Amino acid sequence: MTENTRRSFEAEALPHLDAVYRVALRLAGDETQAEDLTQETMLKGYRAWPGYRQGTNARAWLLTILRNTFINEYRRDRRAGYTIDISAIEEFTVFRDVQDADPEGSFFSQLVDDDVTRAIDALPDEFRETLVLSDIEGLPYAEIARITDVPVGTVKSRLFRARQALQRELYTYAVDMGYIAKREARS
Amino acid sequence: MIDEPRDVDCHTVIERLYEFLDGELDDDRAAQVRHHLERCAKCLGLSNFEASYIAFLEARARGQGAPPDLKRRILNQLLLGDDSANE
Repeated sequence: MTENTRRSFEAEALPHLDAVYRVALRLAGDETQAEDLTQETMLKGYRAWPGYRQGTNARAWLLTILRNTFINEYRRDRRAGYTIDISAIEEFTVFRDVQDADPEGSFFSQLVDDDVTRAIDALPDEFRETLVLSDIEGLPYAEIARITDVPVGTVKSRLFRARQALQRELYTYAVDMGYIAKREARS
Repeated sequence: MIDEPRDVDCHTVIERLYEFLDGELDDDRAAQVRHHLERCAKCLGLSNFEASYIAFLEARARGQGAPPDLKRRILNQLLLGDDSANE
């Protein structure tokens, strides 16, 4: 590698290290694997850097390498925990349940960060990665579509279902913890 | 003179709500949703609830960036040229 390659990689790619790590952590589910995955992604990116078109989108480029590395080398190791059933999700039912008691959703603020990340980790892979890229990294739909290699319409529907499933999960947890009174079941 | 946005129904607004909140709708469609929300308390309630949920996710799920030690390791590897890591 030339000195120039290294310098341009440091200037354009390294600033995205935190984003790569955050996404790696939610894909892999534990810190040790996330560190390995991040390091491997950055080194692969560095070696492939001469083929990167400068000024395009280094973040999306690195996250694509990250995702492929995860799928090819890490996914099988991901510990099997409980998984949220995405197929059972109905539209906006949490709001329907809380709109009288807590229309602003203030029960969310009672949840701690670990409650949230634990629930995110229970989403199936393709829903988890879409939600993480959107709601943790703030990427636009088109960029998520490019990274996850699906049409924008698929990103929309995955994001919708992931958010709704996660919301239902967090709501159920908040009810269990007594943060919010359970709505009387309708007969 | 600016045209009033075309009326859209609750169903359409609900269908496009996340795109609206994520800033993914084009100007015309976003104006239609906004126009509806000004007139429909039910959809406005849902929209406010979902907006605060998304803001909550962004704030609470982000965690920290890469540990300083990992940054150092990666930088060192780059500085060394890291041909040793090539299989």
